[in-house]
Amino acid sequence: MVRKAPRSTLFAALPVAAAVGVFGVSYGVLGTAAGIPGWQLVLLSVCTFAGSAQFAFVSAFATGAGPLGAIVSGGLLNTRYLATGAVAAQVLPGGRLRRLLLAQLVVDESYVLAVAAGTPARPDPGVLVAAGALEWLCWVTGSAVGVLIGNVLGDPARLGFDAAFPALFIALLWPLLDGPGARRCALGGALAAALVAPWAPGGVPLAAAALAGLLLSGRDGAGTPAGPPDERGDVT
Amino acid sequence: MSGTLLAVMGLSALTWACKGAGSLLPRIPEPLARRTAGLAPALLAGLVVTEVLDGNWLPRLDAKAAGVAVALVLAWRRTPLPVTVVAGAAVAALLRALA
Repeated sequence: MVRKAPRSTLFAALPVAAAVGVFGVSYGVLGTAAGIPGWQLVLLSVCTFAGSAQFAFVSAFATGAGPLGAIVSGGLLNTRYLATGAVAAQVLPGGRLRRLLLAQLVVDESYVLAVAAGTPARPDPGVLVAAGALEWLCWVTGSAVGVLIGNVLGDPARLGFDAAFPALFIALLWPLLDGPGARRCALGGALAAALVAPWAPGGVPLAAAALAGLLLSGRDGAGTPAGPPDERGDVT
Repeated sequence: MSGTLLAVMGLSALTWACKGAGSLLPRIPEPLARRTAGLAPALLAGLVVTEVLDGNWLPRLDAKAAGVAVALVLAWRRTPLPVTVVAGAAVAALLRALA
């Protein structure tokens, strides 16, 4: 994999952050429709900053699963951050407390950009923090805007918001499929989610996908088909 | 305190724990770090599947599926991400407006 300059990756982070802001708006709209108080929706965005988990949270309330169901499905979705957070902790600067704070900026979108700027085993910390902070700002602002216009907009499905989600995930996934390992993991994740989804709600299919990805990752790493050994996983 | 506020605090605490555990624990072994490389593609593929299936065995061929199909073609053509996302949403919205 050719290493890209962080500058170009940060430039690529702008449209991603804008997309995160737009999804923040849809989160605010959907959350308002689910009957959750607006200030609590924004508070969740400020403190949690985990888009898919927050959508699982909202959908749990919308379908009457209640507070415990919302915590469980959102929390299961976030178990993947155990792994990404552990990788990020190896490259983030500072002591434990500072890394703990900076690790909160790790989300799928910032992580993917940081991997693109570095390697899967060593994501670029500068891109991770800068893109993560920008996305957090857009996510919180978007959430607040979504809450404000939630009652005016009406049905979010009318505007195609529901199709925007898989479209975003597809657009984020495609550039990662540059090696056989990554394609194997993506296929395994898709199959695992498809098999589990009809039986289990919320975050369980995604936990199955995460497990498939962990099991199917070769020792060579899923996204680095032919990198020099000194650039791959030289953990210091 | 309301149930939703309790849930907000509960999910926030869980997320902080998940994201921050790696910073608090001793450094993880290198093989584990390499193994986690497969998480992002597997999860993104899983998210696409759960979105499209929506709890069913087969995807419903509706406006949302049409938007996803358009996004798939655009991603394959390496169209920039915002264009892909907006186009997918716009196709779904347009089909619903026409229906």
